[in-house]
Amino acid sequence: MSNHLRAFAKKVLLPVFCLATLIYAFNVSAFSFGALSKGLPMMGDMLLEMTPPNFTFWRRYLSLMWETIVIGVWGTFLGTLISLPIGFLAATNTSPSKWIYAFFKSLVTLTRSIPELVYALILVAAVGIGNLPGIIAIMIHTVGLASKFFSEAIENVDRKPVEAVSSTGSLFIHVIRHSILPQLTTLFSGYTLFILDHNIRVTVAVGIVGAGGIGLELFRRMRQFQYDQVAAMIIIIFLVVLVIDRISAYVRQETIKGTFLSRQNRRWDWPILGGLFVLLGVSLPNVFGQLGGLLRGLPVIAEIILNMIPPDFSETPKYLGLMVETLGMAIAGTVLAVLASIVIGILAARNIMRFRLVTWAMSGVTTFLRAMPDILFALFFVVAVGLGPFAGVVALMLSSIGFLGKFYAEAIENIDPRVVEAIDATGAHPLQRIGHAVVPQVLPLFNNYNLYVLDRNVRASTVLGIVGAGGIGFELTISMRMYNWPQAIAIILLIFAVILAVDYLSTYLRKKIV
Amino acid sequence: MRPMIRFENIQKRFGNELVLKGVNLTINEGEFVAVIGASGGGKTTLIRTVNGFVVPSAGNVYVNEQRVDYANLGNLRQLRKNVGMIYQLFNLVERTSAMHNVLTGTLGSKDKALDIILSAIGYFSKSDRKKAMEILDFVGLKDKAGARVDMISGGQKQRVAIARALMQDPTVLLADEPIANLDPKTSQRILDLLHKVNQERNITVVTVIHHFHMVKDYFSRVIAMKDGQVAFDGDPLLLEKQEALESIYGGQFEEELAVAA
Ligand SMILES: Nc1ncnc2c1ncn2[C@@H]1O[C@H](COP(=O)(O)OP(=O)(O)OP(=O)(O)O)[C@@H](O)[C@H]1O
Ligand SMILES: [Mg+2]
Repeated sequence: MSNHLRAFAKKVLLPVFCLATLIYAFNVSAFSFGALSKGLPMMGDMLLEMTPPNFTFWRRYLSLMWETIVIGVWGTFLGTLISLPIGFLAATNTSPSKWIYAFFKSLVTLTRSIPELVYALILVAAVGIGNLPGIIAIMIHTVGLASKFFSEAIENVDRKPVEAVSSTGSLFIHVIRHSILPQLTTLFSGYTLFILDHNIRVTVAVGIVGAGGIGLELFRRMRQFQYDQVAAMIIIIFLVVLVIDRISAYVRQETIKGTFLSRQNRRWDWPILGGLFVLLGVSLPNVFGQLGGLLRGLPVIAEIILNMIPPDFSETPKYLGLMVETLGMAIAGTVLAVLASIVIGILAARNIMRFRLVTWAMSGVTTFLRAMPDILFALFFVVAVGLGPFAGVVALMLSSIGFLGKFYAEAIENIDPRVVEAIDATGAHPLQRIGHAVVPQVLPLFNNYNLYVLDRNVRASTVLGIVGAGGIGFELTISMRMYNWPQAIAIILLIFAVILAVDYLSTYLRKKIV
Repeated sequence: MRPMIRFENIQKRFGNELVLKGVNLTINEGEFVAVIGASGGGKTTLIRTVNGFVVPSAGNVYVNEQRVDYANLGNLRQLRKNVGMIYQLFNLVERTSAMHNVLTGTLGSKDKALDIILSAIGYFSKSDRKKAMEILDFVGLKDKAGARVDMISGGQKQRVAIARALMQDPTVLLADEPIANLDPKTSQRILDLLHKVNQERNITVVTVIHHFHMVKDYFSRVIAMKDGQVAFDGDPLLLEKQEALESIYGGQFEEELAVAA
């Protein structure tokens, strides 16, 4: 009986529940094909105005792009530096005590579960528009990511070489030097490069809310409807992100192989490393020059923090309503992206799609969508389809397609062809081949990626409101503009709680999928 | 005696390399045949011409006295339904149950559009399930029906693969080194099972096999492939002489003996 009940719950109740959630999500996020079709002519106009891109001020854009890179690199550099000790303190096997472990672990979780745009907004309010809030926001964001990566890597250190070195009777410091560090340096540098890569995009996004670099200029030109200039900046951002992406992928690959800086690589590796140090060196005076601003800002930050206590939860029902809208945006955006990405993933998979032109075009589209921060898409769609959650849904959908389209294609390309042959050998029809050889192989991977993207979209959806694309973010900017800090912190805490909950839920579900 | 598989002057060219150089062979209904030979001799290529995964460059293959038409997808499906195949690495659909894997053996028998669609999305009839359970019982895995195939042993995986093939009600069962990844004891059990399939179900079995010392115990006919040609066809007892084996395996003979020892 209870078995039947369970089967009933799984076969009937669960799908009904999912469907209901979905319909509700589309409903609260105001998704409508009507609005979309009304927005299409507007988007067409915008695209027309973007062509040809206006590169008149290319020198200025390049120097702003340089600023963005400086912010990204410095933020990543400082964040990684801080994360090194925190990584050891927040790892079960190297933390000196249970309490220290618990403290740093929670600190890392807290840091990671507040969107970087929130830090940027607060910092811009404290020290004014400029590069400094950008660097600090990126730094804090990096600490959240890198400390988690680092501590997990430390926890996963392979014990065997450690025991081998220990058994020779060497000192503890030698054990670390000869068995732990060699394992970690590759992983750490891999993570750091990965974060740097990701941070360049994040820097463009925090720029949009005032934290310096090309993002700020992009926002201004959008506001002035100078779409031809916007197009020029987007092209520059895209190309720079692509180049940095290539370099970082190259360095990551060489560090994994252990051939970075080796003799045969001399021609490229030293210039890359040297370039990084030159960048840090050249921009050092600029960054130091801003320290004054930071010192002057410290009292303001302290004041803001003091003003935040106690948080004002009087408007909670309203916030909860907005939070539902926010989650609805995230779900609707993710589901639309999943549907579109199935098509794009198949078209981009080289083992299925034989026309190279098609796979090439598809991977071009996904690369572009990945290179652009979602808040930029939000800006566009606020203009095209109007203020409100619908713009947010479309923005989330586009940036998610960038990830899912690529991941799906890779999953399809990595199908085991032997299983496909074995199913063909039974005399299966092509449809049956898809159902029994392809889908079972890719589905667990797809679901894993879907959860990852949903998680990411929940984070993103809480801040898209900053540019008017729906959800709770709008309320957050309003309360900050009015210096109503008790309300702002109440909203931030709510965002934190929701992101944390979704994070746990998706980790739990991901474990179930394997 | 009816011919079940007939190779008529089969040639296969990969690029510039002639991998099969005119193979002529007849395998009769109900036979239990081993194919041996040094690596690269063309064993895999030869048996894959039977179910159309390799298309000969010249010559014809006849299965059950019908010429294999490699260009016709419908015919090919029908042919593959009648010819089961098992592999060295089992090639099961991982992360799904033994039962699901066995049920995929029925896919080739669906020819109405609705049946194809229903089976493609994983719907199988009660009678299919009942039959799958019987076959799992036949291969000795009744109690593993619900187990995920990535959680069972190599020998059990090969049994599931055999069950999948039997589900097709095949007239021929092809096997490409089915025991190469198994320990000696498990290998024997799998060969016993293949023999039982051959005897009790009157299925013609053709298996590529590397372990010559096992060939003698199980097979009364062995075909040796060397450089794309049939180098020997007959009773393995006639191969006992060292020179004969050496001429088949060439330089790899020492290795073969080492395995046997
Ligand atoms: N798809 C292919 N493309 C190109 N060459 C191939 C292909 N399949 C097989 N060959 C070549 O054909 C020759 C025979 O290969 P085949 O796999 O039939 O040998 P085999 O006797 O089964 O060897 P093994 O014992 O190693 O499995 C080899 O030289 C191989 O490299
Ligand atoms: Mg072979």
